[in-house]
Amino acid sequence: MARMKFLCDADRCIECNACVTACKNEHEVPWGINRRRVVTLNDGLPGERSVSMACMHCTDAPCAAVCPVNCFYTTDDAVVLHNKDTCIGCGYCSYACPFGAPQYPQTANFGTRGKMDKCTYCSGGPEEDMSQAEYVKYGANRLAEGKLPLCAEMCSTKALLAGDGDIIADIYRERVVTRGYGSGAWGWRTAYGETVTV
Amino acid sequence: MQILSRMMIALLAVGFLSLTTMDAQAQVNPTAQSVNEDSMFEALGADGNAVAGRTSIPDQNAANLIKPDNKAWAALQGTTLNFVFIVAIVGMVVLLTLFYVIRGRIRVEAGMSGRKILRFNSLDRFAHWTLASTFIILALTGLNLVIGKTVILPIIGENAFGSLTAFGKLAHNYLAWPFMVALALILILWVIDNIPDKVDLAWIKQGGGLLKKGVHPPAKKFNAGQKVVFWSVILGGVALSFTGVMLLFPAEAGAAADWQFFQTIHALAAAVLSAIIIAHIYIGSVGMEGAFDAMGSGEVDENWAKEHHALWVEEVEVKAKTSGTARASTPAE
Amino acid sequence: MLVKRRSRETATAGRLSQMAAGMSAKPMDRRSFLRASGLSIGGLAAVATMGAGLTQRVEAAGFTDMAQPIEIKKNMCTHCSVGCTVLAEVQNGVWVGQEPAYNSPINRGTHCAKGASVREVVHGDRRLKYPMKKVGGEWQRITWEQALDEIAAKMGDIRETSGADSVYLLGSAKFSNEGSYLFRKLAAFWGTNNVDHQARICHSTTVAGVANTWGYGAMTNSYNDIRNSKTVIVMGSNAAEAHPVSLQHILEGKETQRANVIVLDPRFTRTAAHATEYIRFRPGTDIAVINGMLYHIFENGWEDTEYLAQRVYGMDQVREVVKDYTPDVVERISGIDGDTLKRAAETFAKERPATFIWCMGGTQHTVGTANVRAYNLLLLATGNVGSEGNGANIFRGHCNVQGATDFGLDVGNLPCYYGLGEGAWRHWARVWDVPYDYFVDRFDAVPAKGGRDARTPAENMTIPGITSTRWFDAVTIDSEEIDQKDNIKAMVVFGHGGNTVPRMQDARRGMDALDLLVVADPHPTTFAALHSRTDNTYLLPICTQFECSGSRTASNRSIQWGEKVVDPIFESDNDYAVIYALAQRLGFADEMVKNFELVQGKFGMEPTPESIMREINRGGWSTGYTGQSPERLKAHMANQQHFDLVTLRAKPDAPEEIRGDFYGLPWPCWGTPELRHPGSHILYNTNVAVRDGGGTFRPRFGLERDGETLLAEGSFNPGSEIQDGYPEFTLGLLKQLGWDSDLTAAELAVMEDIGGGVEDAVDGVSWSTDLSGGIQRVAIEHGCVPYGNGKARAVAWNLPDPIPVHREPIYSARPELVAEYPTNEDRWQQRMPNIGKAVQQSAVDRNVAQDFPIILTSGRLVEYEGGGEETRSNPWLAELQQDMFVEINPADATARGIADGGWVWVYGPEGGSKARVKALVTERVNAGLAFMPFHFAGWFEGEDQRGNYPAGTDPIVLGESVNVITSYGYDPVTGMHEGKVTLCQIAAA
Repeated sequence: MARMKFLCDADRCIECNACVTACKNEHEVPWGINRRRVVTLNDGLPGERSVSMACMHCTDAPCAAVCPVNCFYTTDDAVVLHNKDTCIGCGYCSYACPFGAPQYPQTANFGTRGKMDKCTYCSGGPEEDMSQAEYVKYGANRLAEGKLPLCAEMCSTKALLAGDGDIIADIYRERVVTRGYGSGAWGWRTAYGETVTV
Repeated sequence: MQILSRMMIALLAVGFLSLTTMDAQAQVNPTAQSVNEDSMFEALGADGNAVAGRTSIPDQNAANLIKPDNKAWAALQGTTLNFVFIVAIVGMVVLLTLFYVIRGRIRVEAGMSGRKILRFNSLDRFAHWTLASTFIILALTGLNLVIGKTVILPIIGENAFGSLTAFGKLAHNYLAWPFMVALALILILWVIDNIPDKVDLAWIKQGGGLLKKGVHPPAKKFNAGQKVVFWSVILGGVALSFTGVMLLFPAEAGAAADWQFFQTIHALAAAVLSAIIIAHIYIGSVGMEGAFDAMGSGEVDENWAKEHHALWVEEVEVKAKTSGTARASTPAE
Repeated sequence: MLVKRRSRETATAGRLSQMAAGMSAKPMDRRSFLRASGLSIGGLAAVATMGAGLTQRVEAAGFTDMAQPIEIKKNMCTHCSVGCTVLAEVQNGVWVGQEPAYNSPINRGTHCAKGASVREVVHGDRRLKYPMKKVGGEWQRITWEQALDEIAAKMGDIRETSGADSVYLLGSAKFSNEGSYLFRKLAAFWGTNNVDHQARICHSTTVAGVANTWGYGAMTNSYNDIRNSKTVIVMGSNAAEAHPVSLQHILEGKETQRANVIVLDPRFTRTAAHATEYIRFRPGTDIAVINGMLYHIFENGWEDTEYLAQRVYGMDQVREVVKDYTPDVVERISGIDGDTLKRAAETFAKERPATFIWCMGGTQHTVGTANVRAYNLLLLATGNVGSEGNGANIFRGHCNVQGATDFGLDVGNLPCYYGLGEGAWRHWARVWDVPYDYFVDRFDAVPAKGGRDARTPAENMTIPGITSTRWFDAVTIDSEEIDQKDNIKAMVVFGHGGNTVPRMQDARRGMDALDLLVVADPHPTTFAALHSRTDNTYLLPICTQFECSGSRTASNRSIQWGEKVVDPIFESDNDYAVIYALAQRLGFADEMVKNFELVQGKFGMEPTPESIMREINRGGWSTGYTGQSPERLKAHMANQQHFDLVTLRAKPDAPEEIRGDFYGLPWPCWGTPELRHPGSHILYNTNVAVRDGGGTFRPRFGLERDGETLLAEGSFNPGSEIQDGYPEFTLGLLKQLGWDSDLTAAELAVMEDIGGGVEDAVDGVSWSTDLSGGIQRVAIEHGCVPYGNGKARAVAWNLPDPIPVHREPIYSARPELVAEYPTNEDRWQQRMPNIGKAVQQSAVDRNVAQDFPIILTSGRLVEYEGGGEETRSNPWLAELQQDMFVEINPADATARGIADGGWVWVYGPEGGSKARVKALVTERVNAGLAFMPFHFAGWFEGEDQRGNYPAGTDPIVLGESVNVITSYGYDPVTGMHEGKVTLCQIAAA
């Protein structure tokens, strides 16, 4: 079974935010919820690099460890999903996540965050695949259609890679060899306990 | 508007300062100088910072790209605290059971006199029971957040457990406020009588008389054990209240690391206090004959009082004589 | 194929859990998700402005029901000029999803933030929903009938009293090719040359500069071809934000070729962040920089002497001029030290092929045309034009700004760059099948005034109109001063923002003073909100290109056919229908559309884009717009997967109908569609035969100059039967060569007809006026380029600066250089006075640089486009940039007590202008430089104008426009405004 991962090649990422709006578009994500975002490091300085970040679908996901209601589960594709019916909006996962993935529809004060929302790797939630109920709560289920996450598919410079971890690591490695440099597989060490070495 | 991440920009600016200030027009090779993950992590050190930059959305937290330390909190929260809670609660219950088996119920050795002394008036009792009831619910709902998924979820299924926990969270958030009011009340009402003094030392030396029959070290209104409970409740309660409010208003709590710190304190304080309160409940109910009345009717048997709070009884009697009213001591007949 | 299986299904329900299920949380329905997800809560001002309408629309769209059939529609992104294919999934007439268009050789499935969110435009929450007019200061809903009747009547009145030239027809780079052409035709039939569009403010100077150098005003190569480059210079372009998908080609080229990517820019842009060398210079000193590079090139003999000898005229004169641009001089002007520049010059000259990319950083200047010319000289000197991997890769702005330029939405041209001469009018009159005199009757006679001679209508037809950068001046200026019958009285604005040119204070006065203002656009635009008009203001809801079909020309000249995705939403309608309906009321519709096929549209009859394209094919000989029949274009869109990523050519295994074609038949695509010319991927490419898309520099400036030939020497295409330079082909030349026998009788008959039977006139029928296409066919059969084989001009003697020299900006931060490098003399151009020199001198005299010590430049953000009205109305984009800002260097910020994210006032040098924006403190700009994006509007000098928009059409994000601050300054050739250099002061608010 494939082990799905994201890899953002920061040497290609130009902070065009296509991944962000593709995500909004595909799942009709409301204002204020940012399942994916682009962070620019060293902004405006030589050495500036941008990285697109969303849920990395970690191995041994820390969000799942802290969830009081066990609403997280990992699919056979190693995608970390959650159940909005059981989520109580406690916010613990947002403090456990190293990547700032969990989002809440409301301001956090007085425990009224609402149901947590995050990147589903375009693979919905526990409802029936590609059902309207699933779409309403989690957005589209592209994996079930045999497609990959739209953010990566639409990435303007093909910086953001999605797919089986081994395959995208190979693609990245090949690029680094071709061009002679690479700024690393951002987040991999934290998410998967390994990095891509060339 | 874009956000400046104070820490990281400052941190990295150091590295590139020489380049940018040397000569504004100087040429540079941005590709060769590009940051990479390894160097960013190296620059990060072990001080809990994030690899952070700028992002155009208003959410400040979004500018934190990677915060590896969150995993440490997650491990603490997900496993360590779980363990601490279980040890604290189960440990105390085991301890009390052992105590009960060995020592049995502590009886009023002189037997009930039938004469009652008013120990706690209705305001005292109202405050105590408000505090007690809210604490119990807070403790249970809090405990549920920590170990519910291992204990309750398998029994009732995840939907029901989700609803239960959601309601529990609501209860926890709202009952915190009466808890805090009662805590303040208790502090005002009882703080004078709970100031430690020399009598307590003697009491402690004799183990409070709990361990041996027939030993009754003298005590004022509150003996040292009760003072420990009082101060545990006050200190623990204040800690829980403060951290709890911070958890409820994360924006006020400061950075995520602060929130995590408060959450950890909250949980640890809750574990310790819960254990103490279990002991308190034990001694106030099955553990000691005649004790419950103090908070039940508010009136205790004179013999019980003399055995456990001899000095207090004297005080009450002196006070009654000087005031000329027989308010405190009323014959049963 | 991916198959998803979950390790754990939703909790298997035990008996207890079933009992408890009653008390479990209700499953969230869509409404409660939205409610819970933030749409219904406040917190953000912008959210609060999103009415209930959005919520409902969102509920209606987005979910794809896999059980229902899905139609796939292919169109192109409507934002920048890269031309990304958009794949739309449509279900029951609703656009439910966007899929990556992997087959497109241009974008290969990818998009930027804008392209990935185009579906929102047909959600349409903030769209103009029906025609409206302002009555007593209030917006009122009216019908299309009423709107068009009233507009036509008022236009008629203005024509009566002030003349046809008093109506300004401002068109759009968002039109399809067919829409552009129809709009240009509308202007011709109305009788004015006051017709323009966004190319004026983005690449008019490019078109002028490039066309004056080697023939055509367009990108010479393509985005894809940059993959072949060994060296890429990007100067005055922030492609990473303005053309993000182009970076796919640039960065992949950079990686696979290990190419040098040198970015020269005053600002460390996101593009610069991916360069191998970044060089900062002072804004407005491009010419000094380029001349400085040429200095090193000539000094060290790095020029391509063979290329210069064969294909370039006058480079020796350039050599003399650039001798003055020694490293010291250049450093003094631009700030770049000699060694750095020398290295860049050497790289560009030696590591070939090398390409030069520019954009509005180069063009939007008082020296815009000269800048472009300078870039061209660098390319020519190093022999870097006309083959794979090199060339002038001009990244154009809007989705169809190339096409709209091609079809003459320009004050000085009829479609396809025929100019405005009588010959041009007669050519198009023939194509349109309307007598030439018909148009003479439609034009104003201009009386003598202001010391100028009177003009007859026939003369007036040949005089370029007023540029879009000056329209408001033409409203408010003294009537004596304007070189036409009367001032501008009416603005008819199709698809054009009102915040896109400098001097917004004056633009506002102009809007207030108009007798009639018509805004035809999917959104109300700044034209609807900036002013204080109370009446005679109309808004017409036009649909987007996703709601109609038609072709658009990408920056690389590839033409792509867009298919209608959904019907026009609300009461909006397409350009074709509205222009036709207006023409009907203006009384010339039947003549105007006589060659078109009319079909029933949404509210009435409308011409089909296919039939319009066929008319274009019949007349567009000069630019090679004749081979691209709708059928061929549609076949390309249907078979995108067969085109090569780098060469853009359809491979041998492609279907016969497209085999060997270049993708999108990039113009020139010579001859008739039947000739099956493949289009020209790379202009002026002498390495391939003309029938394979080869070309030469176009000899359009005469045959010789000062005794030196202007025809190529020893350079020609493979297969050319004339193995040297040659002039453009006419029937007369064919006869001289004896090739006229190859013409068919039918072709000869057409030429006979065009020449009116007069022998000289018949012999004078050329490759560009021969409606039969015979001359082009025969020339190509003999391996020759129809327009001839000439030299590029290093010296453009007809321009104010035949060889570019440095000139300080109008508002210079270095007043001490103004005397040495003054701007061009004041002059008359495009019917208006240009007093740049006087303004520059006055600025020096008044010590403006002391009070306004910071240079202000402007540019683009990736999330927004143009005036930004459409993109700022799109919540997916608007969320990403919620505030107008100014980038300021930490040193300047500290000196002024300005904090990152704090409010500041930016003060401009003219008219006490000011703008309240947020500060973004960053090293991206160096000390003494500030940057503002140009997409914002809706605030004016601190005043929130949200209430001026019709209810529900206000964009989500409003902000100050940078053009409140930008100031006077116009290119002497094209009237391009100075959008990139002015002075300002910044203070904490």
